[in-house]
Amino acid sequence: MADHEVAADVTGTVWKIVKQAGEAVAEGEAIMILESMKMEIPIEAPAAGSLSELRVAEGDPVAEGDVVCVVSA
Amino acid sequence: MAAEDDTAELRAREARARAMGGAAKLARRREAGLLNAEERVERLVDPGSFVESGLLAVSSAPGADPETTPRDGKLSGFGRVAGRPVAVVSNDFTVKGASSSQTNMKKIGHVKRVATERGFPIVFFGESSGARMPDNMGARGMGTQLGNDPQQYVRERESPWASAVLGQCYGSSAWYTCLSDFAVMRKGATMAVASPLLASAAIGQTVEPEELGGWKLHSEVTGLIDRVAETDAEAIDLIRRFLSYLPSHRNEAPPRAEPPGEIGEEAAAAIRKTLPESRRQVYDMRKMVQAIVDPGSFFEMKPAFGRPAVTGLARMDGQTVGIVANNPRHKAGAMDVPACEKCTRFIVMCDSFNIPLLLFVDTPGFVIGVEGERMKAPGKIMNFMTALQMCTVPKLSVIMRKSYGQAYLNMGGGRNSDEVMAWPGAEISFMDPAYAVEVVTWGRDVDEAERDRLRADMARDNTVWGLAEIFAAQAVIAPEDTRAHLIRMLEVHQAGLTGGIGRHRMAGWPTTY
Repeated sequence: MADHEVAADVTGTVWKIVKQAGEAVAEGEAIMILESMKMEIPIEAPAAGSLSELRVAEGDPVAEGDVVCVVSA
Repeated sequence: MAAEDDTAELRAREARARAMGGAAKLARRREAGLLNAEERVERLVDPGSFVESGLLAVSSAPGADPETTPRDGKLSGFGRVAGRPVAVVSNDFTVKGASSSQTNMKKIGHVKRVATERGFPIVFFGESSGARMPDNMGARGMGTQLGNDPQQYVRERESPWASAVLGQCYGSSAWYTCLSDFAVMRKGATMAVASPLLASAAIGQTVEPEELGGWKLHSEVTGLIDRVAETDAEAIDLIRRFLSYLPSHRNEAPPRAEPPGEIGEEAAAAIRKTLPESRRQVYDMRKMVQAIVDPGSFFEMKPAFGRPAVTGLARMDGQTVGIVANNPRHKAGAMDVPACEKCTRFIVMCDSFNIPLLLFVDTPGFVIGVEGERMKAPGKIMNFMTALQMCTVPKLSVIMRKSYGQAYLNMGGGRNSDEVMAWPGAEISFMDPAYAVEVVTWGRDVDEAERDRLRADMARDNTVWGLAEIFAAQAVIAPEDTRAHLIRMLEVHQAGLTGGIGRHRMAGWPTTY
């Protein structure tokens, strides 16, 4: 079991949470969607596993590099 | 009888040189899955084409034992890759850690000079501990060994250079890698100014080799590496592939490959599949590139660095082209400092070797904010812009969706490319109207009615039709016609007057930014 911290690669706001904590995720699957520069930018699972931690909620501002969730693979 | 003795002496000396650092060291490498210096050359060149230069050279340091310095630790010579000549330097780590010394520096200097003057690429296989000691120590050591070749680290891009980092690379192996047009690194290898050992001894810093100069650092953070490979063989195969796109030297056009035949329908379907329905949704530009270029021909450079931009070599109907694109999948395609550095370096390389550029545009602009400014964003944007304007290779741009602000210019807008094409859904403006209202009303008390009026004023026609009507775009094309149109326009813009050879005004520009 390895924990992958997933960081936002762009500054923006959390537009939509797609996966909830505890849910299984496939590699490359969208966990949440950020809004930045009027675009919807998905944050994808770096590996298959489960979403062990969700650190943000819809509407939260995030900065580039902020860890927004953790995937246990 | 004497002649036979001489020949026997020659064979004995050749055998000694080819034994390299000895059976035990070579066996340990084999067990670790590493190729030795000779095997790396064999993997690169066409079978039987290698002719070695300096097989019998040994250390010239006073008191050095020739028996322990076969080839003086570096193998050099000439071979052919896909029938075309190359020079090769392959470090032999089993001989004094392939450290740099007087004889082996003369060997490198020789093959570099020949390749430069006769017009063919140089390939470096890096694995070296740095300058040899005690040879280089003290004033006499330094004065004798180093700095005697005023062309040693000059890069004027007379012919392509490619490097593979295949072990620990400190000193000259690192320098040649950074000066190359293409650099690949095997996982587990390291590249740095000096070793972790020296970092520990001199500044008390304890650091793992991987952290100091491993593949993740160089492929994701520094961008000094173009591609990462799992094995020596894979790294060398990537160099062969890179060279297949390039001319042998700057005074010839790139080689042409066999055209793929009629694939227009497949390209159109793939473009339609990649382009999202909603303008707010992102897509991976690399899929769009793959849909447009010859199947399987896209050779991406620095895929994990500066990801809002995509750069790579490809072919269009067999002709080599360089792709510079925005990738909406990363930061919505807004280019940051690493993306600017990546584009600049790639444009300079393509221009130096007569490779036409295709610019695929979908960007809301450059990344703004504190982080970029601290990394000298304005200077990086201007390096990129100057490079594009100094190019003399054909430049064709396709505005696929967004083209905003200064990025419109950097991505070939207006007269910054030879032809501007745009898709019907393209949008072009200086900035988003909502942001523009904020900017012009900043610090003033403005009521909502006035804001509405300003917003309407700012939201002027940003569609492609305006661009076409004032001839700032030479053609509006349907996405599915992009491949055919680009192939036709590449033909129109082939540099007939010079046989496809550009002016190379950036040949002496740096290789990193």
